[in-house]
Amino acid sequence: MKSFVARRLWHMCLTLFVMITLMFFLFRMLPGDPTATVISPALYPKAQEALKAQFGLDRPLWEQYFVYLKNLASFDFGISFHTRRPVADAIEGRLLNTVLLILPSMFLAYVAGALLGTIVAWRRGSKFETALVFAATSLQSTPVFWLGMLAILLFSIRLDLFPIGHIVTPGLFPDNSLKMYVSADFLHHLALPFLVNALYQFCFPFLLMRSTMLSTIGEDYIELARMKGLKESRIIFGHAMRNSLLPLATTMPMILGWAVAGSVVIETVFSWPGLGLLMVEAVSRSDYPMVQATFLLIAVLTVAGTFIADLLYGLLDPRIVYE
Amino acid sequence: MIEVENLCKHYATETGLASLLTGNRKPPVRAVDGVGFRVTNGEVLGLVGESGCGKSTLMRTLCGLEKPTSGAIRFAGQDSHSLQSADRKAFHKLVQMVFQDPYGSLNPQHTVGDIVSRPLIYQKAGLNRDELKSRAIRVLEEAGLKPAADFLDKYPHQLSGGQRQRVCIARAIVLEPELLIADEPISMLDVSIKWGIIRLLKSLVKDRNLAMIYVTHDLASVTSICDSLAIMYLGRIVECGSTRSVIANPQHPYTRILLTATPSVDPDARRQPVRIVGGIPNAIDIPSGCRFHPRCPEAIGACRHTDPEPVVSGNHSAACHLPKRETPKQEYEQETVIR
Amino acid sequence: MKLLKEFLAIVWRSPSGKASLLVFGLCLFLAAFGPLLAPYGATERSYDAAGDLVRLATPSADHWLGTTLLGRDVFSQILWGARPAIIIGVLTALGTVLIGVNVGLIAGYFGGRVDSVMMRITDIFLGLPFLPFIIVLLSLTGRSIWTIIFAMMIVMWRSTARIVRSQVLSIREMQFVAAAKSTGASDLDVLYKEIAPNVMPLALIGITFALAWSVITEASIGFLGFGDPDVVSWGSIIYQAYASQMMYRAPWWVLPPGIAIMVLVTSVYFVGRAYEEVVNPRMREMR
Repeated sequence: MKSFVARRLWHMCLTLFVMITLMFFLFRMLPGDPTATVISPALYPKAQEALKAQFGLDRPLWEQYFVYLKNLASFDFGISFHTRRPVADAIEGRLLNTVLLILPSMFLAYVAGALLGTIVAWRRGSKFETALVFAATSLQSTPVFWLGMLAILLFSIRLDLFPIGHIVTPGLFPDNSLKMYVSADFLHHLALPFLVNALYQFCFPFLLMRSTMLSTIGEDYIELARMKGLKESRIIFGHAMRNSLLPLATTMPMILGWAVAGSVVIETVFSWPGLGLLMVEAVSRSDYPMVQATFLLIAVLTVAGTFIADLLYGLLDPRIVYE
Repeated sequence: MIEVENLCKHYATETGLASLLTGNRKPPVRAVDGVGFRVTNGEVLGLVGESGCGKSTLMRTLCGLEKPTSGAIRFAGQDSHSLQSADRKAFHKLVQMVFQDPYGSLNPQHTVGDIVSRPLIYQKAGLNRDELKSRAIRVLEEAGLKPAADFLDKYPHQLSGGQRQRVCIARAIVLEPELLIADEPISMLDVSIKWGIIRLLKSLVKDRNLAMIYVTHDLASVTSICDSLAIMYLGRIVECGSTRSVIANPQHPYTRILLTATPSVDPDARRQPVRIVGGIPNAIDIPSGCRFHPRCPEAIGACRHTDPEPVVSGNHSAACHLPKRETPKQEYEQETVIR
Repeated sequence: MKLLKEFLAIVWRSPSGKASLLVFGLCLFLAAFGPLLAPYGATERSYDAAGDLVRLATPSADHWLGTTLLGRDVFSQILWGARPAIIIGVLTALGTVLIGVNVGLIAGYFGGRVDSVMMRITDIFLGLPFLPFIIVLLSLTGRSIWTIIFAMMIVMWRSTARIVRSQVLSIREMQFVAAAKSTGASDLDVLYKEIAPNVMPLALIGITFALAWSVITEASIGFLGFGDPDVVSWGSIIYQAYASQMMYRAPWWVLPPGIAIMVLVTSVYFVGRAYEEVVNPRMREMR
C-alpha cells in the first residue's frame, strides 16, 4: 500500500514536471517571437534590450529554464506582460473563486446524480426513466456555455432574478476583502453559474449510477435478497445502491479535475473572476507568464484529482492488489 | 524424424532493476530440465504427466514459441536452432500444433476459411485467392468437415466443440508439417466426440507419414493412439518406452502410481492402489537427488542425494535407482486396448 | 466494411439507435449539401428595399430564423455550419482512434518496458487539462480548422489507448495468438491481423465518443474566440452573438446553433450507446 502511494506520487510529480517543461519550451520553441507583443520592435534597440533584461529574456535558453524552475519552486511566476505586476498577485484570489464555483456544484451534481440514478434504476423500464435518460444525454450533449447563456437569457434578462455575471456587484467590495464571500450579494451572483454547472455536471454521475445499478441488480446476491422476500425498495436503496456508489466515488476526483479544466468556459459566460477566465484573457492578450501560471495551476488541480481518484479506487475496492 | 537432446527451458523469476543492482538473483524456474527423446515419422509418442510438470513448456519450445535455454532439437539431423535463425517461417512449417482449447485457439473474428488459409499467408506462400480457397477446402475435408464449402464462411462460435477442434487440426496440417504436436486435444470435448478426433489424428499420422507427439495427463486415452510413451515429472522424462511395455511393465514408481490412478474399463481388474503423498513440488525448488523422492513410496537413502541415471533395457528406459523388473502381464494388455 | 455493416445492423436493431442513426444521417446530408440548400451565403449580408442592412430581424418568411447584427441569415449560417462540424468531428475522431488504437495495441502486446514507457506518456496526457491545453496550443500555432483538429487529436487519443491496451493484455494471452505465432506469423501479423480485429468494436465505440466530444469541444473553442476566423461554425455563430452583446435581445440568433450542436451530439451518443450495449458484454466475455 505504501509503495503504491509512493509510486503514484512519483508519477504525479513526473507528470507535473513534464508539463512545466513543456510549457516552458512550447512558448519559446514555436514560431513567432512572444516578446514582440510586449517589447515593441519600434522601440529604440537600447530600450528593447533593457526590457528584455528586465524579463530575463537576454540570457541563453537553458539558463532561462533553470531560473524558471527555481522561481516556480518559490511560487514566483514572473511578471505579467500585461499589467507589469507579479503574476502571483493576480492569481491569488482567482484559485479560491474557481474552487468556490466548481466544488459545491460538483458536490450537488454527485448527490443528485446518485439519488436520481438509483430511483431511475428502481423504476427501470418506465416512461420516467426513458425521459430522464434522454434529458441527461441531451444535456450532456449541450455546450455548457450555451446552457449558461440560456440561463442568463431566461433568469437574468427575462425574469430579472439574478445578476448577469461577475462575482459581486462591482464597487461593493473595493478592497476585495474576504468579507465578500459571506455576503448575500456574493451568493446572489453565485446562484446561477452554480446551478448551471451543477445541472451540466449532473449528467455524468447520473448516467453512470444508472448503468452501474442496472448491472448490480442483475447480480446473484441481489437475486438472493429478493428470494428472501425483502421489499424491492429496500433491496435497491439498501443493498444495490451501496455497492453501486463505488465507481461513482472513484470517478469523482477525476471528474472534478476535468471540471476545473472546463471552468474556462463557464467562467467566461458568467464573467466569473476565476482561474479559467484569467487564463482565457491572458491567452488573448498573449500574456505568456500569466498563461503559464494559470495553466500550471489548473494542471496541478487536474493531476491531483487523478491522483486522488487512483487512491480512492484502491482504498474502496478491496479487490485491487497493490503490487 | 525429430530428436530432442538434453533440452532445458528455464525462466528467470525476477528481472527487476532491484535484483539486478543487488545481484540478489532468485533461482530460475526450471520448467523443462534436461529432456531427451526421439519420434520417427509415422509414429505417435505419448507424453504423459501431471499438470505443472512442464509438458506445455516443452511443447511450446518444440514448436518455436519459446527459445530453449540449452540442449538441441533436431529435425532429420538438422538443428532446429540453426533452422530457426536461418528462416523462422520455414521452421514453423516443420512443426505444427493442435491446442488444447478449441474455443480459445480460434480467432473469433475470423471465418473458418480465413483461419485455415491464414498460415499460408503468414508463410508468404504466394498463393492467390482461389488457390488459398482450394487448399483450405482440401484440408478441411481431410479433417472430416464435409462438405467443406459449407464451413468456409462460418465463424467459430457457430461450430460445435468437435468441429472447432477439426478446424484446428486442418489449420495445423495446411502447412504440411513433419511433426504434429497435439496438446491434450480432446480434454475439453464431450466424451461422444473424443474418439472421432483420436481416429482422425491416427489416420493423419498414417496417411501423411507424420511424426506426432500426443500430450496428455490422462493415461486412458494414450493406449489407443500412441506407439510409445514418455512419462514426465517435474521437467524431466522419468520413463520412456513402447506403450505396451510401459503400461504392462512400469519401471518407475511414478508411472505405477499414474497407472493405478487411471480408471480401468474392466471391472474385474483389481489394482493395488498406491498412495502418493503431497502435491507436485514447484519447479523453482527442485528436490535434491531424485526429484520424485519426497513423494515416492519406495524411496531409499540413495534417492535423497543421487540423481538416478536412466537405466536402459531394450527400448525401455527409466530413471530410478530401483527399477522393477517384471515379466509383462498379459491382462494389462487386454484391459487397456479399448477398441 | 464488414465491421461497419455489423455496426449499423446492431445500432439499427435498437429503437433509439435507429432514430439517432437517422438524425445523424440528416446531419451528414446537411454537411454534404447544406451550402447548396442555404438560401443565403454564410457571410452574405441582407439589405432591405431601402438598401439598409437587415439587422437583428425577427424570424420571417425571408429569414426563417431571423438575421444577425451584421444582417446575415441565421438559417443559412446553420446550414453552412454543419459541414465544419462534421468534418472536424469525423476527422478528429478518426485521428484520435487511429493514434489511440495503435498505442494501445503496441503497449499491450509488447508489454514490459515498451508498455511502461507508453503508459507513462499516456498518463501525462491524461493529466493535461483538456480545453486549457488546446487553447494554449492554438494560441501558439495559429487558428485554423487543421490546427484545431490537430490540437484536439493530441489530447483525445489517451482514453482510447488505455481501453484498447487493457483489452489487448487479455487477448494476447489467448491461444489463437500462440496458434498464429506457431504458424509463422510475425509480430506485425499477430498485432494487426489477429489481435486488431478483436479490438475493433472498442475502436468504433471510441470513434463515436470522440466524435461527440470533438463537436462540443470545437464549439467551445469557437465560443472562447479561438476558432478558425474564416469558417462559419455553430460555435462561432454563438461567439459572434455573445461578442456582439446582442444575444440577449435576439434569442433566434443564439438558440438555433446550440440546438443544432445538441441534436448532432445527442444522436452520436445514442448511436454509440446502442452499439456499446450489445458489444460490451461480448468484449467482457473475452477476458
